[in-house]
Amino acid sequence: MKPDGAIKLVSELLDLPLIDSNGRYCGIVDDVELKGQAGKPLRLEALLVGPGAYSGRLPRWAMSLLRMTAGDRLTRVPLGQIRTIGAAVELKVPGEKLGLRKTEDRVEGWLPKRGAL
Amino acid sequence: MGRSACILLALLSACSEGAAKDLQYIKQARSIGAEWALVNDQAHSGRVTTVYVQSMHHWLHDSLQTASSSLTQPQSEYGREISQLLAEPADAPPDQLRSHVTKLKQIEDQLESA
Amino acid sequence: MNPLELTLGIMTAVGGFVDISELVFAARAGSTFGFALIWVFAFSTVGIVVFSEMSGRVAAVAKQPVFNLMRHRLGLELGLVTLVASVISNLITCAAEIGGVALMLNYLLGLSYVLMAVAMTIALIVSIWVLPFKWIERAYGLLGLFMIVFAAALFANHAPWTRIAGGLVPQVPRGLTTKEMLSFGYFCVAIVSAVMFPYEVYFYSSGGIEEEWGPKDILTNRLTSILGMGLGSLLAIAILANSAILFGPANVDPAIPGTAALEAAIPFGKWGLILALLGMFFAVAGAAVETCLANAYSIAQFFGWAWGRHKKPWEAPRFTLTWIILFLAALAIVLTGVDVMTLVEFAVLFSILVLPLTYLPLLLLSGDRKFMGRYANGAVTKWLGWFYFWIVCIAAVAALPLYFLTSGGNG
Repeated sequence: MKPDGAIKLVSELLDLPLIDSNGRYCGIVDDVELKGQAGKPLRLEALLVGPGAYSGRLPRWAMSLLRMTAGDRLTRVPLGQIRTIGAAVELKVPGEKLGLRKTEDRVEGWLPKRGAL
Repeated sequence: MGRSACILLALLSACSEGAAKDLQYIKQARSIGAEWALVNDQAHSGRVTTVYVQSMHHWLHDSLQTASSSLTQPQSEYGREISQLLAEPADAPPDQLRSHVTKLKQIEDQLESA
Repeated sequence: MNPLELTLGIMTAVGGFVDISELVFAARAGSTFGFALIWVFAFSTVGIVVFSEMSGRVAAVAKQPVFNLMRHRLGLELGLVTLVASVISNLITCAAEIGGVALMLNYLLGLSYVLMAVAMTIALIVSIWVLPFKWIERAYGLLGLFMIVFAAALFANHAPWTRIAGGLVPQVPRGLTTKEMLSFGYFCVAIVSAVMFPYEVYFYSSGGIEEEWGPKDILTNRLTSILGMGLGSLLAIAILANSAILFGPANVDPAIPGTAALEAAIPFGKWGLILALLGMFFAVAGAAVETCLANAYSIAQFFGWAWGRHKKPWEAPRFTLTWIILFLAALAIVLTGVDVMTLVEFAVLFSILVLPLTYLPLLLLSGDRKFMGRYANGAVTKWLGWFYFWIVCIAAVAALPLYFLTSGGNG
């Protein structure tokens, strides 16, 4: 993989929405995990999802504010779980299997499940 | 004599500065008076509901009160005119309200041309 | 393309075009400058048509709403700045709409303004919870068509059609003093902002996803944008023209939104008044729903949450909680006692500052062949898009100085 190819891949991947095998939104690609050594090609290992992945992308004061409000959880989505990458990253499995959608499922319990047509 | 003239000029200048600042409130008061007259016109012609008239009287009076209390020179000629407008009863005849509007418009035009 | 669906979509857009800001500024523009600002309404409408069509096309082709792709395009930091700015702007706008709705109920029923603000917020929350997306959009949009009474009033008020047509020609009235010129400039900026509010684009684009638009709906999108918003703007122009005919000569510069209803009361009497107030009520209520949902869409899409009213509320829980909290936050602003007219001024000011950040990513996305394929911007759309982008940038720079120099257009 060429260096400029890797940089282009990262910029194309970052901040894309994630959609699981059930068609549900599961977050945004907040960062990527690359593996490699000096002088060798970099390989994309995983996508990182969650506010914990923002450090390095936001100023320190913004990170402190974010940590107070949204926490700093981080979920790792291995490359092997990705089906396609286009306008969104589509996953091969339901989000729960990768540890995604935890907050969504927790908040769902707060809402009454009736009254909607 | 020279000193008195300077003081008078300074006072006049301060007054006109205050009047310039008050111009937006004079305009608001003039417009509110005209709206009020228009509402009462329509009320007398039976073109609007009683509920609407009462509601408009409330909000127009509220806005006029705000404009009046924002004046930097409430004792000025325009300040007194606005106070008189505020003191009018809600169902005042439109012509009465318009007489205040006319006076405020004259003051407004004088200040704008100054 | 289903003709009935298309017609309903266009009529919904017509009834939903006017909100409290357009109502206020159209009435004030007419009473202050006669027919001279009609061209600014027409000019701004072309702008919102261009960007709405773009946002609907992005939704139909990329199958992603604007804010999802905006973060990808702008990056996290600038995307967050855009998000925060648009949330603040839309929240103030929503508060203005809720205040406006409470006022309309006060004019109609005489019930307490504060009580009506609380009751309407609850009613709006319940209506969004209960109704599916299409019914939400259609209910408020179609009932907003009572606003047609303003167009009818224009005929009944013996409109000078030649002068109204003349108002479509770009112009600056002659013989204005410096202050009046600055006021004219402020009204131009305010009208551009009020017509091109950012929430319109977010809501329209997300609505396209809610209705599962695809490439086959490109024509529907185009027709709805052009005809819906074009015809809707005629209602705003009717309010302006009626104000020029009735209020200008009477020295009235409408200080409160209720004065606009007199435009229909004067020719038609009580029924005209009631129809006008009902039209204003539903149009502004619809705008309250749109601004709140637009904010919830933006937040949910930015963070990749499940979103949409095509799902049941509990199937998109964080999105649901977000729009409920936003409605309550807007109500809290209204309950501080801030005047509705003041909220309208701030809504218009904040929105114009946010507009360049809103429209730039949309312009770039809709022209990107990687996402849009053969549906990317054509030459005309590209040219118009960039032209209007620079117009909103100039308006954004001029907004604050003009506001302070003219005391919000009051001279």
